[in-house]
Amino acid sequence: MNFVIVLLALLGSVWLLAVVEGWTTTGRLRPAAPLLSGLAHLGRESIVPRTPDRVFFETAPVLLLIVAVLGAAVLPLAPTLVIADLATGALFINAALAYVLVALIMAGWGPNGAYAMIGGWRFLGQLIAYAMLIVMPITAVAMRAESLVTTVIVGSQDGLWNIVYQPLGFVLFFIAAMALAFRAPFDLPTAPGELGGGVDAEYTGVRLGVLRLARLTLVITLASATTVFYLGGWHGPLLPPWAWSLIKTLAVAVSMLLAGRYLPRIREADLMRWCWTLGIPLALLNIIVVGLLVLVVP
Amino acid sequence: MYAQAFFVAVFGLAAIGFGVVVFRTSSMVRSALALLFSQTAVGCMFLAMQTEFLGVLQIMMMATEMSIMAIFMVMFMMDPGGMGGMDMTHQKRFSIGAGVVAAGVAIVVAFWADWGPVTAEAPDAAMQTRALGMELLGRSMLIFETAGITILTAMIAATAVAIPVQTTANSADKEDTE
Repeated sequence: MNFVIVLLALLGSVWLLAVVEGWTTTGRLRPAAPLLSGLAHLGRESIVPRTPDRVFFETAPVLLLIVAVLGAAVLPLAPTLVIADLATGALFINAALAYVLVALIMAGWGPNGAYAMIGGWRFLGQLIAYAMLIVMPITAVAMRAESLVTTVIVGSQDGLWNIVYQPLGFVLFFIAAMALAFRAPFDLPTAPGELGGGVDAEYTGVRLGVLRLARLTLVITLASATTVFYLGGWHGPLLPPWAWSLIKTLAVAVSMLLAGRYLPRIREADLMRWCWTLGIPLALLNIIVVGLLVLVVP
Repeated sequence: MYAQAFFVAVFGLAAIGFGVVVFRTSSMVRSALALLFSQTAVGCMFLAMQTEFLGVLQIMMMATEMSIMAIFMVMFMMDPGGMGGMDMTHQKRFSIGAGVVAAGVAIVVAFWADWGPVTAEAPDAAMQTRALGMELLGRSMLIFETAGITILTAMIAATAVAIPVQTTANSADKEDTE
């Protein structure tokens, strides 16, 4: 039952995000647009490029969708509303999201196209920038909760949310999450206007539809992870717990969208340089500060 | 019990199957990703054997490791896509022999070694994680720290060797823009 509810919540959030995305780009609020464009994708011809790596080409969009849903499976909407409350939840979400990289390499290599391939390998380079900034802030979150269980992590933020307790970790995680979801300004693997769509370039029709759905689901999963790890998850007054989880998740997702709209695309070398020379030392500092707080403050 | 054995067997066969693909394909990226999914299947075997932390860790680590290996294989092999019809294998007789001997030794050890009493019931996942943490920061700390420092030293040394000697701030910038 939880499985169905969480999946529906995920789908609903994706739909809302797609509506908001359309609103910010076209200026018109059209609730039916995501559905219509999805149907249009189904109706269009889905072209397979010449001499593709067929297995990779077909698997990549589906794999991306699966890992996004798997990541969401360990994130609670309410104290009991979680698909799998694993003892290693905070690690599991890392494991699931590591396959975003694999899916993008497949999508890049599969179509046998230059732009796609550059996009795919570029995301592998980007891994060096964002991976540590995903894992290290989560480490600090787990240190405070003294657990990897996601429901316990939310429980540990009962009095004080992690965004206040470890703001540095929040900022680093938020940036890294945007890079992992390859949203603007970190949309280097797709880079419209520079790589002509990159990993998206050779996908059409139903395959492109799945790819788009997967990307939006990934954004929602990462927004939900931000909510669980830093924004107190289901905690909040008056409204029921699940409502708070959804509101916060959507707020984070929309803030990612807006950040992307008003910032120029970052250069690949700059992203890596800043993440390594600034991001990682700050993440270490965050771990030390949280460690001291955990030991000193009862 | 039977379900557990079934899943261990299924993931084990998947691991072997993907392992075979590693050598059956000429595409370096396919080969690397087949190895990745073979290792992922081993991680799933850990999960089926109720060692949750090790399983999840294995599944996580292999995704990035094998992806990085894939790009190195593409960089260094002459025919990374496998579409040039090159034979990417060599020393076939020796490797078949070595493979058969290694498999034989592994099977003999598996059946003849004294594995000690079988645990009736695995401790729950949270307890396992805790015990593993205690082990890593207790008795085994020195070993892991030594290994970690050694790998770090090797990485720094490799990077230092790879940097051209005459590198200045200007030439580094030039490389970026190329």
